[in-house]
Amino acid sequence: MVSTLSLPTISRREVLRSVSSGFGYLAFAVLNQATVARAESRNPLAPKTPHFPAKAKRIIFLCMQGGPSHVDTFDYKPKLAIDSGKSGKFGGSRLMASPWDFRQHGESGLWISELFPEVSKHADDLCLIRSMYCDQPIHARSMTQMHTGNAQFVRPSLGAWTLYGLGTENESMPGFIALNPPAASAQNFGSAFLPAIYQGTKVGRPQQRRGGMYRATSGSSPQMPDLSNARVSKAAQREQLNFIQELNHQKLERDEYQPGVEGVIESYELAFRMQDVLPSLMDLSDESEQALEMYGIDGSDSDEFGRQCLLARRFVESGVRFVEITHGNWDHHQRLKTQLPENCKQTDKPIAGLLADLKQRGLLDDTLVVWGGEFGRTPDAQNGDGRDHNNKGYTIWMAGGGVKGGMSYGATDEHGYQAVEDKCHIHDWHATMLHLMGIDHEKLTYRYAGRDFRLTDVYGTVIDKIIA
Amino acid sequence: MWNKNRLKRSSILGVMVACSGLFQCLFGQAQEAASISDGIKFFETKIRPVLVDHCYRCHSAEGQGVKGGLSVESREALTIGGETGPAIVPSNLDESILWNAINYRDLQMPPKQRLPREVIEDFRTWILMGAPDPRVGSTKVIKSTVSSEDIAKGKDFWAFKKPVVQSLAVSDVAGWATTEIDRLILAKLEEQGLEPALDADSNTILRRLYFDLIGLPPSPDEIVRFRGAWQKNADAAIAAVVDSLLERPQFGERWGRHWLDVARYAESTGKEVDMTFPHAWRYRNYVIDAFNQDKPYDQFVREQVAGDLLPAKDDADWAEHLIATGFLAIGPKALIEQNPRQFQADLVDEQIDVTTRVILGISVACARCHDHKFDPIPQTDYYALAGIFQSAETLYGGVRSQRNRQPSNLIILPIDAPNPGDVAISTAELASLKQQLKEREADYIEARRAQRAPSPSNGKPGTDPRRSFVNAAIIEQQVVQLANKINSVDEQGRPLTFCMGVQESSVAKNARLLVRGEIDQPAQEVPRGFVQVLCSEEIRLDPQTSGRLEFANWLVSRENPLTARVMANRVWQHLLGQAIVRESENFGVSGPGPTHPELLDYLAVRLMDYHWSIKKLVREIATSRAYRISSKHEPSRFEKDPENLYIARANPRRLDAEAMRDSMLVASGQLDLSRPKASQIATYGSTIIGPTGPMVIPPGLLAAMSTEGKGGPQAMLNMMRPGMLASNINVFDSRSYYRSVYLPVARNALPRALDVFDFAEPSMVVGQRESSNTADQALFMLNNTFVLEQSDALARRILREATSDEEQIARAFLIAFGRQATNDELKASREFFRKIGPKISDRRRDEQAFLMLSQFCQALICSAEFRFVN
Repeated sequence: MVSTLSLPTISRREVLRSVSSGFGYLAFAVLNQATVARAESRNPLAPKTPHFPAKAKRIIFLCMQGGPSHVDTFDYKPKLAIDSGKSGKFGGSRLMASPWDFRQHGESGLWISELFPEVSKHADDLCLIRSMYCDQPIHARSMTQMHTGNAQFVRPSLGAWTLYGLGTENESMPGFIALNPPAASAQNFGSAFLPAIYQGTKVGRPQQRRGGMYRATSGSSPQMPDLSNARVSKAAQREQLNFIQELNHQKLERDEYQPGVEGVIESYELAFRMQDVLPSLMDLSDESEQALEMYGIDGSDSDEFGRQCLLARRFVESGVRFVEITHGNWDHHQRLKTQLPENCKQTDKPIAGLLADLKQRGLLDDTLVVWGGEFGRTPDAQNGDGRDHNNKGYTIWMAGGGVKGGMSYGATDEHGYQAVEDKCHIHDWHATMLHLMGIDHEKLTYRYAGRDFRLTDVYGTVIDKIIA
Repeated sequence: MWNKNRLKRSSILGVMVACSGLFQCLFGQAQEAASISDGIKFFETKIRPVLVDHCYRCHSAEGQGVKGGLSVESREALTIGGETGPAIVPSNLDESILWNAINYRDLQMPPKQRLPREVIEDFRTWILMGAPDPRVGSTKVIKSTVSSEDIAKGKDFWAFKKPVVQSLAVSDVAGWATTEIDRLILAKLEEQGLEPALDADSNTILRRLYFDLIGLPPSPDEIVRFRGAWQKNADAAIAAVVDSLLERPQFGERWGRHWLDVARYAESTGKEVDMTFPHAWRYRNYVIDAFNQDKPYDQFVREQVAGDLLPAKDDADWAEHLIATGFLAIGPKALIEQNPRQFQADLVDEQIDVTTRVILGISVACARCHDHKFDPIPQTDYYALAGIFQSAETLYGGVRSQRNRQPSNLIILPIDAPNPGDVAISTAELASLKQQLKEREADYIEARRAQRAPSPSNGKPGTDPRRSFVNAAIIEQQVVQLANKINSVDEQGRPLTFCMGVQESSVAKNARLLVRGEIDQPAQEVPRGFVQVLCSEEIRLDPQTSGRLEFANWLVSRENPLTARVMANRVWQHLLGQAIVRESENFGVSGPGPTHPELLDYLAVRLMDYHWSIKKLVREIATSRAYRISSKHEPSRFEKDPENLYIARANPRRLDAEAMRDSMLVASGQLDLSRPKASQIATYGSTIIGPTGPMVIPPGLLAAMSTEGKGGPQAMLNMMRPGMLASNINVFDSRSYYRSVYLPVARNALPRALDVFDFAEPSMVVGQRESSNTADQALFMLNNTFVLEQSDALARRILREATSDEEQIARAFLIAFGRQATNDELKASREFFRKIGPKISDRRRDEQAFLMLSQFCQALICSAEFRFVN
């Protein structure tokens, strides 16, 4: 059964009116079921009925910025070990065997490298897509394509489309959160021509590149500054905000159409609601020691990412639709042998903890956890012991949310240069994720400048084989 | 008259005090060279097996990597060496670091155990016989897939042909166009069946002019004055305002900042180890001054690319030229990089990337690893430029340490204007500091040895490695601080004046093409030269010079098809809110191309005809009819051209970060228009900031350590700069009421007031900033201390300037919005006061009343009207 989304029936201006004078007030007033119901019908963030029953209700995207090496982590290439030192497919550099052992894990027997000992324990939940490819070999553009489907034009991001298609389950929280996003990446979390309310909200300081051994050891949770005002009461601030929004609406009336002003209006309402819920949601002091331990929050290398994974779990549990966490520094042009293990160490336990925690809370069934970078790396060596960018073939994995666990889908060639079997383009990956969320990627459209746009443009094929 | 050569030599100060004198040892002279075949035989039997068994593991691509940047896999690799210099200098034991290392002088190789005495003797023999080594590959020659025909054909592409002025036919029934710019705009509009919007009203125009030209809002008086003049003669009124704004020092602060965006200006290295650039601010001021003086753009470019090679009329002039070359030195740097050749290659790459994208609007750095994918730029063009840039030394400062593996010198300026904080010291004190430095260096080497030394009990490294690590780290910081202090003064203890920049190396050297851009895969040498597709004739460079000056002159020659277009496009974009070539750094084949090619060429030619005067070009655009149109939404216009490619209406714009903060300070009356001395970062000196900064030492450990050793950690802590100890506070969010352009720009710790409003990412060339509206901004506006303080100040100002409630409200609107309040706005304001008004019984009502007024003022600052220019 396919039903259409209810969203496009309300106009942009109605959306705005409802945002600021509708549930904006409600967040402050005592919530009343009847008014909530009334507001919902007009609220652009209200949960919407998907096109078909969804397997996944929310997404946690663990974005490994820089392009993790697939042949050293999740794409087992025995032939690469044999041919190590020989000239690669494209001449020039010599092939370099992975310096790490691969072993089979779980009942499914998935091959995973020793760099992810903890994640390996969840092998039977993982669905490895070993045949990813994209069009861009350069970081910035590839990141943009991974997030928006299009590296050339400014387009809405995956998270924004998801939020637009499904709304959120907690209107006091941003429906789409980017935890510690890289600097200068606003476009990758942006809403482009979609209403600004669908854009990602950044939480935490921008992700920065850091040196290994000098990092302050005491971990710190992501912060959100300016979350409270010591001078005025909530009620007084709401009055002030009403006045601000009245001025903004008057400006909008005068200007008639101004997406920027609409964005301002929406951002204030969201900010006001966030003040109520975010501080307690982001305070990890109520977590048990056992829980912290599970995520690797112990002052070690995994502390920082562990905190972010734990926050991600708390966010999705509170109803946030799409959470993205960035972990940087996977761009190993050199020093792969020392740097890659460091990155893995920082993330292995937190990711495993996240999967285990979601599972024990019964959330993994309808939470899609996605791991991957903007591309992979070459099987041949660069600068001695590094690997170069490789957008022709790499691995992304998913878990939970209606994908088959313990599965390996697609394949690269014998050395890991190019996807050759069941190739999966970014558009296919996007289509599949939307499908898992109950959305037909061809029907999720937004009319802009006389044309219906969609995340997958005119491309994208859902990978049925990986759906449970 | 000064002597350029003498000054140039003496202007470089040896900053790497900490590592000097380590490899000084004397041995006998080279013996007579053995015959080649004997030598090879000797190598094969005595040397190669040792290299394979004892060195390959850490120093070959086969093994665990190329530690310290050293590979021992070929003759070439050995002579190039690694981080510390050439491993082998044939026939010269003293200079061969490998020889020192196997003898355990400072470096100890192999680390686990010394080689047997007879093996060491073999190495002596081998080096002295000239280090014969058969492992010489034939030089690869990479042939480009871009043929000379491709390049010739490529010259037909619009952007690679010189701009030509062409007029377009317009009917202009309404007599709308007043300038050539208008006619070129109107021609496209007519072609598309669009009509230009009506002129905006006088308030809107004035606000636009103020923000576009000086980045500040007009004052209420200026608004009234302008309205009067506008009613008499709009053209004259606009021209007069434009002229007066162009003369204000705030013009340079606004337009200089646009340049700083593309010049990726920052005051620290960014990346893994964020080391300060305490002298970068001189470049910032240079840029601002250049725009204020209306320095011709060709000269501006020439100075930044080759200022050190230009003639100068006096010391001040010369200092200015040297500071200008900071353009090439302020880029982000990975100081953690161990391999000096990799670091150098990346540095040159960054210089090529920035120079070509910023000035030429094309990306030549794409050709580092392979021929350019889209444009006819062969890989050899990249290395032709690399030869030019690598023939200069880039100077950005720093002292060598575990984290800063790539320090450099600085340029000493021939003027006396040292950084604040760099004060004179007595010669006695200087001598004492030097003595301390010597001792600390010795301590440091000792601590490092202790760290490595096996402990007697279990044969493993020291029982408490962390402790010795901390010891070494603390001592190292002392060394760094002492070296910094000593280096900041001359022999008499007088503080020196430094800048960042480049200096020509003594020898100009061609670069070798690197296969896939990899430093360990050099191919043929490429003669120095420019980007061929942009050259109207073949370039011949004097082999004695680097060619950098010639390159700078070529960039700004009228023959160059891109430079004027790229800058004209930027000027247009900053005034109209959208560029003619929308990707302002991509004029190449893969770029979007111009929406108005004739207009772009017209502006480019005008810029050159104005003798590259930016002010004149700004004036011409700002006084055009096209600049004046309204941004009012009109559905039919919108549907025909939703992206507003053809400019039938103006683009409403959100204030950028600086304008936002400065406007708040203008409204509050607190803006300090003076220029601060230097920058906050200058007062920090050379140090590492942010999370990777000086270690946070746990108090327990501190206490334990304070009983041992000389100096003690407390002394160390006292030497640290303020604010450096906390890892999670951004020390740059300090209270300062200078214009935002003067706030410190540390790459990894931007002031929040700028960061939150899409400040240009300082590690990238940012031709166009993002313009988002986020919840984070809303939280900042509602709750941040800075905003609250400005609201209070605005409230106090209102109380001073108006008496009755009604007057106060009206005054607040006039100040904040630059116009009278509308009736609806007044109504909403009264309603607001009625709702939050203090009860009569409230004893603190004066205080309450002030808070109310402050909240009201804050609301105006928060509102979209304040944040946007229509």
